Amino acid sequence: METQLTDAPADTRAISVTVNGTRREGEVDVRKTLADFLREDAGFTGVHVGCEHGVCGACSVLMDGEVIRSCILFAAQADGHEIVTVEGLGGEEGLSPLQQAFVDHHALQCGFCTPGMLLAAVDLLKRCPDPTETQVREALSGNLCMCTGYAGIIRAVRAAAPHMKG
Amino acid sequence: MEASSTQWKGRAVPLREDVRFSTGRGTYIDDMKFSDTLHVALLRSVHAHARILKVDLSEALKMPGVVCGLTGEDAGRMSEPLRSLIPIPVQLDAYCLAYGKVTHVGEPVAAILAESRYLAEDALEKIRVEYEPLPAAVDPEAAMEPDAPLLFESMGTNVMWRDRFDYGDTDAAFARAARVFKKRFYIQRYSSTALETFGCTAVYDDHREQLTVWSNDQRPGQAMPIVAHSLGLTHAQIRFVTPDVGGGFGNKRKAHYLIIAALLSKLSGGRPVHYLEDRRENLMALIHACNGVMDLEAALDEEGRILGMKVHDIADEGANVLNPTVHSILKLGNLTNCYRIPVVRYEVNSVMTNKCPSGANRGIGKPFMCLAMERMMDYLARQLGMDPIELRRRNLVPPDAMPYTGPSGALIDSGDFNGTLDKLLPLIDYQDFLREQREARAQGRYLGIGIAIGLEPSTSNQSAYILSSGRRNASGSAEAAMVRVEHDGSILVLLGDVGSGQGHETAAAQIVADELGVAMDGVRVSPFFDSAVTPWLYATGNYSNKFAGTDVGAILGAARKVRDKLLELAAYLLQEPVENLELAEGGVRARDRHEHRKALAELAFVAYRDLLSLPRGMEPGLEGRFYHSSDLANVPDENRRVRNQLFASNAAHGVIVEVDPDTGGVAILKYGVVHDCGTVLNPSIVEGLVQGATAHGIGAALYEEFDYDAEGNLKSTTFVDYLKPTAVEIPDVRMDHLVTPSPYTPLGMKGVGEGGAIPAPAAICNAVENALEPLGCTFDHLPLTPERVWAEIEKARASK
Repeated sequence: METQLTDAPADTRAISVTVNGTRREGEVDVRKTLADFLREDAGFTGVHVGCEHGVCGACSVLMDGEVIRSCILFAAQADGHEIVTVEGLGGEEGLSPLQQAFVDHHALQCGFCTPGMLLAAVDLLKRCPDPTETQVREALSGNLCMCTGYAGIIRAVRAAAPHMKG
Repeated sequence: MEASSTQWKGRAVPLREDVRFSTGRGTYIDDMKFSDTLHVALLRSVHAHARILKVDLSEALKMPGVVCGLTGEDAGRMSEPLRSLIPIPVQLDAYCLAYGKVTHVGEPVAAILAESRYLAEDALEKIRVEYEPLPAAVDPEAAMEPDAPLLFESMGTNVMWRDRFDYGDTDAAFARAARVFKKRFYIQRYSSTALETFGCTAVYDDHREQLTVWSNDQRPGQAMPIVAHSLGLTHAQIRFVTPDVGGGFGNKRKAHYLIIAALLSKLSGGRPVHYLEDRRENLMALIHACNGVMDLEAALDEEGRILGMKVHDIADEGANVLNPTVHSILKLGNLTNCYRIPVVRYEVNSVMTNKCPSGANRGIGKPFMCLAMERMMDYLARQLGMDPIELRRRNLVPPDAMPYTGPSGALIDSGDFNGTLDKLLPLIDYQDFLREQREARAQGRYLGIGIAIGLEPSTSNQSAYILSSGRRNASGSAEAAMVRVEHDGSILVLLGDVGSGQGHETAAAQIVADELGVAMDGVRVSPFFDSAVTPWLYATGNYSNKFAGTDVGAILGAARKVRDKLLELAAYLLQEPVENLELAEGGVRARDRHEHRKALAELAFVAYRDLLSLPRGMEPGLEGRFYHSSDLANVPDENRRVRNQLFASNAAHGVIVEVDPDTGGVAILKYGVVHDCGTVLNPSIVEGLVQGATAHGIGAALYEEFDYDAEGNLKSTTFVDYLKPTAVEIPDVRMDHLVTPSPYTPLGMKGVGEGGAIPAPAAICNAVENALEPLGCTFDHLPLTPERVWAEIEKARASK
């Protein structure tokens, strides 16, 4: 049995999404993922796609302050919401304390999991400013890293925690 | 020649590349923007084995946004067949797309080019393929039987390579042995699954007769000739560029996709054509490490010394007709592990099956060899009633035997295996543990300890493949680099091996900074490989932990050429003999009068601009290129002995686990590694690689398996089925180091990237068996999932 596909163009929707503090308005295919929207339309290639089925966490971004997986959300679902990607961390001063901790503790090798890992850590430290090692591991268990074996990442997050309060 | 400074080498310098990756500003292949890019989607086989009767793209080509398509037949008309490196002299029609038949689930059958990946995938659903399904060869031993379904009838067999290496008289050793033991071992299919998938962008400019390919292919030196031959282009017409690579581990190589993208770019009139695997495609069809079956036989004397060994190995290569036998060849490097075993018979079988093609993966064959050897040692110890550590010590190559050449010709350049083991035991509180274990057993808890010592050879010698291919396709171990002092005194370094997370940009800068007497800030190492600009050879690329073995030689060679010229020019300008001069603090100065100096920028000004101030006969410029070829590489001798890899690191792994008898769950309580990779250039890099490679070994031991059903359907096509360990499963490895520098590398460094992946599966397996010793459980199959462990526990309990 063949899949029936309409030859009509895909539905589109006008959306307005604030990304890293800047409002972006556009017309998107309703089926376009948030990850693809952020990478292609908004130009934030720091959002990485590792599996497209919501497991690896590479695509993690903050939506209204909470970490979500942008590969299994449609861009249209982000209409009216605020997104922060890795490019929105740090600022005029350069690296955020967390990013600096990642550098200081060599919490990455190939760098592909790093944006998602940082955002998951930001989410954790907001909810739990003084996490134990177990809490850090559990909070980051939704972000796969194939290179580091996680040790440097855990150290970096714990080292950054005191600097992220307030 | 004065020694270079050691201001930077050996220091845990923070990695400069970590800064851009921490800000999301890496440039991976899918980040590169071109205008008018078109996107590829690939239709993949749903059968493990089938004849292709018809591929009809007509409806697909009418879909919105579709530009054109490609079938295997098109590829057959538009390109040359891919050459296979197997010893059987038969022409196999292998092209970038399946031609005539499909040989594994997930094999690319047709390609669609469209304005977006979304639209291209829509069009895939309109492609009509008529298949004639054929019986599939799935189990490797069954695939070797005379009545097995054949992947290629013209070959007459699925056994691509069968051979027997008699390194010494094993029959005599076995005849005089006090005891002989035989055991069978299995390894499953798994792979490192880099988080970034494989991808490329090709621009085929017919007018300028130039093909440019950007790709995260980790062996551009090999990819280039394959692509050139396939497309009928010269190397001079092709430019190959490698951006940031999000993990490689050996997997990131697939010339088929490069050729597909190039052909589609040609068909589209030269538009940039981009292809990126998605995760499902990656798990189904990029690369799997060979699964296999190994029979080990060991002949021992009365004191437990191994007199000889017989290894019968079956490597399941899947549908890899292009470059199989790699796993079997690589096992030559750790065939006898760290032990002094004088004679070995090694029987190899490289078998084709209807599964994903095999290829390089962290360790390549050596994890299985180590798994078998180290589990055998524990087994022998139990049979002999000996302490497993004592049995190992009796057989380890002693430090005074270094450099040691094993029976296959494999070289161990340096190492103190007893010393490595000595350091491991206190690291994991071995003595205390034995007492803890007794107490735990009394309470009905199952705690276990597993030790594995592993040789970690590095730096592949291309000549080794003469043994399997029968052809001298390449030889030696090499890499190339360029070091250039720029017009303003800054320094640029280009290296053929851009790496995939091993910190080459920082490591290379440490070396060059010391060599030229500058601060590290003054040295920029380009993250890009560009075949038009970077010197390169066939061996160029990121594989077999070759940074220590070849890249360092290339970087030093290039830096020293520049150094010599700087000294010569400075000597002339300062009117000082060269012996009186030193490079330091960004310039060349007299040793006894530091203020008598020329800054690099001043020397560069003369070398590039004020040319008439150069000494007569000196060529302008301050650039050094060096192609480093290792002296240690050799070709197989008349007894087929060869140094298949050149430098041997080693490690001892010790792991303490607790097994939950009700769930079969295995928890790692403590993991210790003592690692010896010779001179350590940057401790942060080394420790990160040891931790990360060990995690791969833990994944292979406990979680990961590409599970095929009897028809050759892959059941593990997502990360929900193919389980990767997370931060919860991987402990902080307690690490200690031993340093036995290699006498053969310029800085004494040995390879480190693969390392932990080699002994880890063995250590964990030994630990689980040790934990369940009271029940007598043994495990033949990895991964040691809760189901497997629980089933063995239940079986053991039922038989009591």
